[in-house]
Amino acid sequence: METEELIGRLAAGAGRPVRRLAPPSARLLFWLAVSLPWIAVVVTVMGVRPDLTARFEDPRWIVEQGAALVTAVAAALAAFCAGVPGRPRWERVVPIVPVVVWIGAVGFGCLQDWIRPGPGGVMFESDWACLPGIVFVGAAPGIAMAVMLHKGAPLAPFVSVGLGGLAAAALADFGLRLFHAQDAGLMVLVWQVGSVALLTVLSAAIGRHLVRWRHLPLH
Amino acid sequence: MTGEPIDEAEMAALMRATQQGDPAAYARLLKAVAPIVRRMAARRWTGSEEADDVVQDVLLSLHQVRHTYDPDRPFIPWLMAIARNRLADVQRRQARRAKGEVAVEILPETFSGQETKDVVDRLAYSDALEQAMAELPAGQRRAVELLRFKEMSLKEASAASGMSISALKVSMHRAMKTLRTILTKQ
Repeated sequence: METEELIGRLAAGAGRPVRRLAPPSARLLFWLAVSLPWIAVVVTVMGVRPDLTARFEDPRWIVEQGAALVTAVAAALAAFCAGVPGRPRWERVVPIVPVVVWIGAVGFGCLQDWIRPGPGGVMFESDWACLPGIVFVGAAPGIAMAVMLHKGAPLAPFVSVGLGGLAAAALADFGLRLFHAQDAGLMVLVWQVGSVALLTVLSAAIGRHLVRWRHLPLH
Repeated sequence: MTGEPIDEAEMAALMRATQQGDPAAYARLLKAVAPIVRRMAARRWTGSEEADDVVQDVLLSLHQVRHTYDPDRPFIPWLMAIARNRLADVQRRQARRAKGEVAVEILPETFSGQETKDVVDRLAYSDALEQAMAELPAGQRRAVELLRFKEMSLKEASAASGMSISALKVSMHRAMKTLRTILTKQ
């Protein structure tokens, strides 16, 4: 087919207005508006942990939860930015900052546990429930993210879907810790942050299947 | 095929009109965009695929994501991001193909042998092929016409017929099988 003919066909199929993609910040607000009520419902159904009020007085817990929340927000915003052609690439690496703070805070917690003698010291045991817990809490944010990323341009499927997975998993971990009373540094690092990392990698791996160039039949 | 050169502000205005459903503005915009993409492809492209195929790939991609253009942002970076991305995809595809290719110094020229030529000529110009084609289901016949007779690429054939690329591949495969059976009987 000649390029001239292709242009004619493309133009003929563009007679209807298209719904413009909202700016990444507006999409972020929409994603949070869908995700946070779901997390609130799950936390309510599962039952808020009994020591939650005391947790709010623990700076370590506050920093870890704050970093998880900021990671979720930054990763979601970066994922939406990655789906818009022409936006600067540095936007995609911004979530590294809260991720480093998050891992650093949890790692510092491990160190504190390590040097603390007695029953409050380092503790490690199997807690496989964290992974399905994060998957469940992150289900609605994850699905909403997948649908929204599908509408963007498939410029960087690996990065955008990986960031989307990180956003949903980090938000899920934030919610999980409101009803799951497990705060030992090493446990959080391995079972919770580890699950988030695993889900991020899995999301990135399916990126090319979720968002890709698809040329529809022309009219 | 070149459109009149227009500046970036006008391109952005045409893109806004396109998003509002103006086909004439869209046609004008694509005609202006095509030579820009062709020049970019010519600068960066070293593969065997035709530059026009790359241009068409970019235009199809632009069409798919035309809703992602934000009128508050410049047009050219938006266009170039799509073009660079598609060009990189084509280059990766070429690299994958090249891995499967085997270089030979002398190509076997079976078509120069008279016996081979007779068979091909006999089939190509006989009514037998025409009759065998008539026996094919409509979808398979269309696939053969577009991919073999008109020598379109899968993407072009898909755009022309409305069939998906995988449906075209399946139809082509089945058509070849059926044609082989019919022609062997004759």
